[in-house]
Amino acid sequence: MKDCLKTSGLNMLNSIDKRVVELLNANLPEAKAVLKEVTVGHGSVTVSAEKILEVCQFLKQHEELKLRTLQVITGTDYPTVSEIEITYVLCSLEKNHELLLKVRVPRSKDVSDLNALPKVPSVVSVYAAANFQERECYDMLGVNFTGHPDLRRILCAEGWEGHPLRKDYVPAEKYLDMVINPAHKVNTEDHFFGKKLKEQMDNPKLVSWSWKDDSETTEESAGE
Amino acid sequence: MGSTHSMENDKIILGDTEVLKTDLLTLNMGPQHPATHGVLRVEIKTDSEVVVEATPHLGYLHRCMEKHCEHLDYRGVIPFVDRLDYLAAMNMEMGYVLAVEKMLGTEVPKRAWYVRTIVLELQRIASHLMYFGTYAIDLGAFSPFLYAFQDRENILRLFEEISGARLLYNYIWIGGVWNDLNDEQLARIKKFLGEWEENFKKYNALVGENKIFIGRTANVGVYTKEHVEDYGLTGPVLRGSGIKWDLRKDRTYGIYDQLEFNVPVGEGLKGQLGDCWDRYFVRMQEMNESIKIIRQCLDGIEEGPVMAKVSKIIKLPEGEIYTRTECPRGELGIHIISDGGKTPYRLKVKSPCFTHVSSLPAIAPGMMIADLVASIGSIDIVLGEVDR
Repeated sequence: MKDCLKTSGLNMLNSIDKRVVELLNANLPEAKAVLKEVTVGHGSVTVSAEKILEVCQFLKQHEELKLRTLQVITGTDYPTVSEIEITYVLCSLEKNHELLLKVRVPRSKDVSDLNALPKVPSVVSVYAAANFQERECYDMLGVNFTGHPDLRRILCAEGWEGHPLRKDYVPAEKYLDMVINPAHKVNTEDHFFGKKLKEQMDNPKLVSWSWKDDSETTEESAGE
Repeated sequence: MGSTHSMENDKIILGDTEVLKTDLLTLNMGPQHPATHGVLRVEIKTDSEVVVEATPHLGYLHRCMEKHCEHLDYRGVIPFVDRLDYLAAMNMEMGYVLAVEKMLGTEVPKRAWYVRTIVLELQRIASHLMYFGTYAIDLGAFSPFLYAFQDRENILRLFEEISGARLLYNYIWIGGVWNDLNDEQLARIKKFLGEWEENFKKYNALVGENKIFIGRTANVGVYTKEHVEDYGLTGPVLRGSGIKWDLRKDRTYGIYDQLEFNVPVGEGLKGQLGDCWDRYFVRMQEMNESIKIIRQCLDGIEEGPVMAKVSKIIKLPEGEIYTRTECPRGELGIHIISDGGKTPYRLKVKSPCFTHVSSLPAIAPGMMIADLVASIGSIDIVLGEVDR
């Protein structure tokens, strides 16, 4: 055995992305499956958002793929291209493979109303696991999963404003008459812990820290 | 209690007799309830003692850790993943660190992998002991809890010595581990392993073969294979339903492919396959397998460095990765999307407990309230991980 164990490259062994795109293009051409190949990490398959339900049905029932379990649904916000990307991680226990299936929907700035949010068909009828996962995605990113039996917030409280994992999210000032992040409870001393330590040390190069706002914010802007 | 109630065609059957239906009563179990293992609230509609509908309400421990991580560099995230499953922090760290190392292509020294495997498996034992103790409390037995904590204390003391903390370690770092294990500590682990067999026999005789325990857990909270596939259940819940699937074997990482161990699965020994007793059985057997793994690691460990050379500022190449690791409670998935910067663009944690809680509404209807407590205990949830 070698002295070191390289931890990379494990994923590429049984990637099924290429095969999935072949099958989807042959059987569901309207889903417009696009392959994304990579040299490091995971590749993915992007399909059109309106057809996600049909795609999931197809992948679940296909004899060769047997992608019978849905692991997780996550979303990512891309404000620069004004899109939200939703990733479905599908797995097969029998075949021991997984697939990152993606859809992209245009992002809406207005999040006040369910109708204003970007719409994606719900896949709860195919995977029961999607129920809570879609609720979380709705809660965190503001995506309306049409046809979901019970689309409510799950992690944030009922009546919370905004969707925290959007990049432009700003917390509301109040929730039910309670002040969010009251100034007297924020430990502003800690914001400049690294900076102060650097001034005190004889050799400032030895000081490093892992949070990013210290060097970038000034004491005035932190109070805002 | 336990075995024979069911709901058929809107009728409630207890044993052989149909029970008179009454008006539905809504009850709140939690968020402060000793049997919910944290701050889980389950809203249950009951017809006398029988649960008709159960709705979990989550979020009481929500800290939006995923948003925090978008503002931290890759090393700074490690203490945050600790706080997900605070009873198995080492395994959480491993899942995250593995994802980063795979993206970086870091070569981790062999000794570091041995140390990692030892602490991971010790943590698995500590976590399962916690399950063993609290589950017995859920079912009304107090002394197993104290026995379990005796052994768990040995493990936590060791962790405190090597990392400085009892629960939230920040020990497994990108490229290796923070601190080496010395010979005295290795000898102490060996001593702990020596005491294990006798303890295990004692625990199993006290709880697993106990007639009351079997009465409370056999045929209760049955997860079929369909449940497992539909809800994406993982870990001991999946294996309890008789499916042989363990990421340490099927999607091996680290040095697990060079170690010999079995994957225990539920066999339906005391009742239906996939009931609470089977999950208990799987977890107890898993502890024995962990002991086996640690023994092999203690024999195989060699001198050498425990940290690889990693650049001071870690920048992941642009792209994404989804890694899966086997944690005590199931499969932890870490999804990192990187834009090439110093901080993750998006970090998503697929929590096994979240998935398990989502399956509660499927198995709860038709149960007695006390059986619901037994079922929630047997899926062994930690709310820090559910709510993130």
